[in-house]
Amino acid sequence: MTLLLALILVPLVGAVVVGLLRGTDRAAKLTALAFSLAELVIAAAAWGGYDPAGPRMQLTSSVEWIPAFGIELSFGVDGIALVMIAVIALLMPLVLGFSWGERLPRGRTHGGFFSLLLVEQALTVAVFAATDVFVFYVLFEIMLIPMYFLIGGYGGPRRRYAAVKFFLYSFLGGLIMLASALGAYAYAVEVTGQGTFDWATLTRVLGQAPTSVQVWIFLGFFLAFAIKAPLVPFHTWLPDATEQAPIGVVVIVVGVLDKVGTFGFLRYSLPLTPEASQLLAPLVLVLAVIGVLYGSLQAYGQTDLKRFLAYVSIAHFGFMALGIFAFSTQAMVGAASYMVNHSIATGMLVLVVGLIIARGGSTRIADYGGMSGVTPLLGGMLLVAGLSTLSLPGTNSFVSEFLVLIGSFPTRPVYTILATVGMILAAVYVLWLYQRVMQGPVSGDALVGAAKGPGATADPNTLSRPGGRHAVIGDLGPRELGVLAPLVVLVIGLGIYPEPMLDVITPSVEATMSEVGVTDPVAPQGGN
Amino acid sequence: MLDPYIPLVLMFALAFGFAVFSVAIAPLVGPRRYNKAKLDAYECGIEPSPPPVTGGGRMPVAYYLTAMMFILFDIEMVFLFPYAVSADSLGMWGVAAVVLFVVSFGLADIYLWRRGGLDWN
Amino acid sequence: MGPVQAGAVVLAQQPVEPPPIEYAAIAPVLLMLTAACVGVIVEAFLPRHQRWSVQVGLSLLTLVVAGVALGAYARGAGTGLTTLAGTIAVDTPTLFLWGTLLALGFASILLIADRSVEQGGAFVAESDASSGSSGLGASSGLSASSGPARGATADSSAPSPTMTRATAGVSGMRTEVFPLAMFSLSGMMVFCAANDLLTMFIALEVLSLPLYLLCGLAKRRRLLSQEAAVKYFLLGAFASAFFLYGLALLYGYSGSVKLAAISEATAGSDRSDTLLFAGIGLLVVGLLFKASVGPFHAWTPDVYHGAPTAVTGFMAACTKVAAFGAILRVLQVALEASSWEWHYVLWTVAVLSMLIGVVLGLTQTDIKRMIAYSSIAHAGFLLVGAIALTDRGLSGTLFYLLAYGFTTVAVFGVISLVRTSEGEATHLSGWAGLAKRSPLVAAVFTFLLLALAGIPMTSGFMGKFYVFSAAVTDGMVPLVVIALVASAAAAFFYLRVIVLMYFNEPAADGPTVSVPGAFTTAAITLGVVVTLLLGVLPTLAWNWANVGGFVS
Repeated sequence: MTLLLALILVPLVGAVVVGLLRGTDRAAKLTALAFSLAELVIAAAAWGGYDPAGPRMQLTSSVEWIPAFGIELSFGVDGIALVMIAVIALLMPLVLGFSWGERLPRGRTHGGFFSLLLVEQALTVAVFAATDVFVFYVLFEIMLIPMYFLIGGYGGPRRRYAAVKFFLYSFLGGLIMLASALGAYAYAVEVTGQGTFDWATLTRVLGQAPTSVQVWIFLGFFLAFAIKAPLVPFHTWLPDATEQAPIGVVVIVVGVLDKVGTFGFLRYSLPLTPEASQLLAPLVLVLAVIGVLYGSLQAYGQTDLKRFLAYVSIAHFGFMALGIFAFSTQAMVGAASYMVNHSIATGMLVLVVGLIIARGGSTRIADYGGMSGVTPLLGGMLLVAGLSTLSLPGTNSFVSEFLVLIGSFPTRPVYTILATVGMILAAVYVLWLYQRVMQGPVSGDALVGAAKGPGATADPNTLSRPGGRHAVIGDLGPRELGVLAPLVVLVIGLGIYPEPMLDVITPSVEATMSEVGVTDPVAPQGGN
Repeated sequence: MLDPYIPLVLMFALAFGFAVFSVAIAPLVGPRRYNKAKLDAYECGIEPSPPPVTGGGRMPVAYYLTAMMFILFDIEMVFLFPYAVSADSLGMWGVAAVVLFVVSFGLADIYLWRRGGLDWN
Repeated sequence: MGPVQAGAVVLAQQPVEPPPIEYAAIAPVLLMLTAACVGVIVEAFLPRHQRWSVQVGLSLLTLVVAGVALGAYARGAGTGLTTLAGTIAVDTPTLFLWGTLLALGFASILLIADRSVEQGGAFVAESDASSGSSGLGASSGLSASSGPARGATADSSAPSPTMTRATAGVSGMRTEVFPLAMFSLSGMMVFCAANDLLTMFIALEVLSLPLYLLCGLAKRRRLLSQEAAVKYFLLGAFASAFFLYGLALLYGYSGSVKLAAISEATAGSDRSDTLLFAGIGLLVVGLLFKASVGPFHAWTPDVYHGAPTAVTGFMAACTKVAAFGAILRVLQVALEASSWEWHYVLWTVAVLSMLIGVVLGLTQTDIKRMIAYSSIAHAGFLLVGAIALTDRGLSGTLFYLLAYGFTTVAVFGVISLVRTSEGEATHLSGWAGLAKRSPLVAAVFTFLLLALAGIPMTSGFMGKFYVFSAAVTDGMVPLVVIALVASAAAAFFYLRVIVLMYFNEPAADGPTVSVPGAFTTAAITLGVVVTLLLGVLPTLAWNWANVGGFVS
C-alpha cells in the first residue's frame, strides 16, 4: 500500500471509529484529532518521499474496477496534487481544534460533526489523487454528500437552502462534466478502438483530437470547475454556503473544496483539451478578471462577515484562473502556489473571523468595533491574516500573486493590468474591515451587548481585565492560539522562503505546459 | 372450384330460414296473453336495469359472477371446438394439450365452487 | 390461396408434428405457472388459518427453485434458442431478465407477505369485502357471497368495519394476492421472452389482469385503492387495444406476427409504409404505456398512490423490467431495420418522459406520487439506452433495470414503515425530522434516494453511466446532455426529502416508524445491499448483462 492510499484510508477509518464512539463526545473528539494528526504525519512523509525530478505521477497504485470500460481505481500525485493534499492534512487538525467547543444546533454532537469532516477529508484527498477521469468524477460527486450534511446539519438558520443550493450547483456541474468524460471516452473508442478513462491515455488521445471535439469536451469540464472554483457568474452558491456553514466547514469549503476547481483546470482542462483551452482562454480570462474585480467590490460592500469571506475568495480564485490560463510557466507556478497560499491565508482569515463571531455572537460587521482594545492578540491575528490576504510583501500570498501577475503580463497584458486593480482593492477591503472591527472606540451591539446588555456604553477596561478571570470578552485562549500559531508561521515562513513548495510545484507545471504544447514567450527571469 | 363451400352456403341458408320461420310462425300459432313482463325490453331473462340516473338500482353481485362463468365456459367451448375438429391429426400431443387446458380451466371452477361463487345467497 | 383452402375444408388430415419443446429452457416459467395454479387450489381447499403460511412458503420456494433451474440452465446455455415453435426466445437477455424478475419477485413477495407492519397485512381481510366501507367494496370479489365453505368460521366472517380493524390480525389477509402475483410474474417472464407479437399480447394480458386486481386490495383507504384499480384497468385496456391494433397492422404489413419475419419485411421496401408506421406507432404506444413512459404515464401517479404499497413496489419494479424487456426485444429484433423511421420519435418521447417526470415530480407533496414521477423520469433514462441499438445499449438498459428494480422495491418497503394510526403517512410533511426518531430508517432511505438520484457509488449511478455511455457512443450526445440536466433537476426532489428528514424538526403528532417484521426487513436489506453492491462492484452483473444479444 502506498502512502497515498494510507492518506485516503486513514481519515476514513477515523471517521468510522469516531462515528462509533457515540457515547462520549470527548473521546470522539480526541480520536478525531488523533487521526487527523496521524494524517498530517503521513502527508509529511509523502512530501518527504516525493522526488520533484521524478516521473510525472508518483506514489501510483492501480486496481481494476470496471474493466468493460477500462476503468481503474488508480491514484497518483504530481507536485500540485501533493501540496494540496498536504494543505488538507494541515488544515484538518486546525479545523478540529477550532471546532472543539463550537456550539452546534440542538441534537447534534461533535462526534458526528468530526466524523463527517474526516470523511470529507478522505474524499478530497482522493479527488486530488485520482488519475482516472471516471474515478475523479465519482469522487467529485461523492464528496458533495458529507459536505451537504455538514452545511445542512450544522449550519445557520438558512442552512437547508444553502445546503441544497450548494449540492445542486455542484451536482449539475459534475453531470455536465460526466457528459464530457463520456464524450472523451467515446472519442477514444473511435480512435483507438479501446475505451479508457485513464488520464494519461486520454491526454495522449484527445491531444490530437480536432478542435471542435476538444471545445465540447472542454466546455463540459470547464462548467464543472467554474462552479467549483467558483468563477463569476457561477459563484452564487458560495456566499450562501459560507454564510450558513459553521466556520470550520467554511475553512474546508474555501480552503480545500473550491481548489478542486482550479486543480481541475490544471490537471484536466489544459492537458486533455490543449487546443480548446488556448482557443477559449479569453473567455476564461474575462470571467477571471470580472471575478477579481467583482469579488473585491462585493467584499468591500459586505455588511456580513461570513459573506465577506466568500467574496474575498471569489476575487482570489479570479487570480488563480488568470494565472492558469495565461499560459506561461511563471504564472502557472504562481497560480498553483496560490492555491496553497490562499488556503493558508484565507483559512486563517476565516478562523480569525470565526473567533470574532464566537465572541460577539453576530455576523454583522456593524455589530463590532474597537475590538483590538479588548482583545489585542485577536486583533493582531486579524492583521496578519488580512495582510496575507492583501498580499503584502513578506507574506506567503505575495509570492504567488506576484508570480501570477509578472508571468501573465507578457502574454496577457490587458487582463493583468485589470487584475492588478484587484490588488489595490484587496488592500482597501481588508484594511477597511480591520478598521471597522478592531480600531476606534469599543462599539457595536454585539460587543457591548455581550458585556452589559443592550444599549449600554462600554469602557474597554471593564470589558477585559488583562489576565483577569472575569473578562467578559476574553482574548485568545491557549487552544485558539494553538490553532492560529501554525498558520502564522506558515504565512511568514512561506513568504520569506517559498522555495520548498515552488520546487515541488514547478516540474509538474512544466509538464503541464508541455502537455498543452506551449512554450514561454519570454525566458523566465533568472534568479527566480 | 367452389365445391367445398356449397355445404356451407346451404348451412347458412338453413339457419336463416329457420330463424325467419320461427319468428314468422310464432304469432300465427301461439296464444297471445300479454302482461307487463312480456312487454318489457328483453334482457337476459331478469328484471331490466333501471335507468342509471333516476334509478339507483343495483344488480346482485352474484349475477355478475354467474354471467362471468357463463362467458368463461363459452370461451372454453370456443377453444375446444377447433381442437375437436382436428383431433385426429393432432394425436396424443393434442390430447395432452387440451387436457392441460381443461384442467387449468377446471382449477378456476373449483376455486369458484369452493369459495361459494355458485351459491346464489 | 392454396393452404388456406385446404385448411378451410378440414379434409386434409395429415398428422401434425408437435413442435419440439426445450423444457429445460422454459422450466422457470413452467414452475411459476404451476405454482400459481397450485396456489389457487390452496385457496380452495385449505382452511383459512393455514393459507397464509402455505402460500408464502409456496411462492418463495417456487421463486428459489425457479431461480436454481434458471441458473442451472444458464450455466450451459449457448447464445440462445427459440422454442415452442419459435414463440419463445430463451437467449441471454431473456435469462438476465428472468433472473431479475425472479429476484425482484422474491423481494416483492416478502413485502407483500409482511403482516407485522400493518396488523394482518396490507391487504383487505378475508371478511372485509362484504362489509366494505364503500359501495365499490362489492367489486372485490367472490367472498361477497358467503357460502357453506365459510360456514366454519361464520361467526367472524361478518364483522362491522370498526371491528375489522381490531380483529384484522386474527382474520388475516386475502391470500389470493400470492397466486395473483405469481401469475403476474409468469406473465412478465413470458412477456419479455416472447418472440412473436401474439404471444407477447397474451403475456401482456396475463401480467396485467392480476395487477389490476392487486391494485384494488388495499386494506386502508379503500376508495383510493379501488379508484386506482379501475383507472389502471380502463387505461390498461386502452393500451392493450392499442397494442392489439398495432399488432394487426404489422401483421397486415408483413404477413406474420413473428418478430423475425417483421424484421425481414421491413428490410424490403416494396410494401405499404402506412401500415408499418401506424403499426409501429400503435404497438409502441401500448408498450410505452406499460413501462409508464411519459407522455403515456397518466395512470402512474394515481395507481402508485392508491395501490397497497407492497403492490406498488412489485408493480414499479417488475412491470418496468418486463415492459422494457419487451421494448428492447421489439426494437432490436423486429424494428431495427426501420430505426430511421422511429428513432427521433422515441428520442422525443424520452425527452418528454424525463421532463414530465422531473417537472411534475418537483411539485408533489405525497411521497408515493413523487416516486411515481421519479419512475416516469427513470423510464425516460431507460429509453435513452433502449434506443441506442447497440450491444452496449442493450446491456446497459438491462443493468439499469436490475439496479432500478431493487432500489425501488426497497424504497416502497421503507415507505410502508412510516405510519400514523390512520395507516401509512405518505404525505411529505409527515416525514419531517424522521432522522431524529429513527436514524437507521432515515439513513437507509437517504441512501436509496441518492441511488435514485444517481449519485456515484450507488447502482443508480452505474446504471445511468452504462446507459448514457452507450448513447454517447451511438452518437446521441444532445439527448445525453438533456438527460444529465434532467438528472440534476430530479436530484432536487430527492434532496427535498432528505432535507425534510434530517434538517427539520419532527412534528409533534407526526408518524412513527414501525419496527419492520422479518419479511420487510429482509426485502429492504436485499434492496439496499444490491443497490450498494451494484454501485461499487458493478462488473459481476455487467458481465452477465453483457454476454450477448437477442436471438429470433
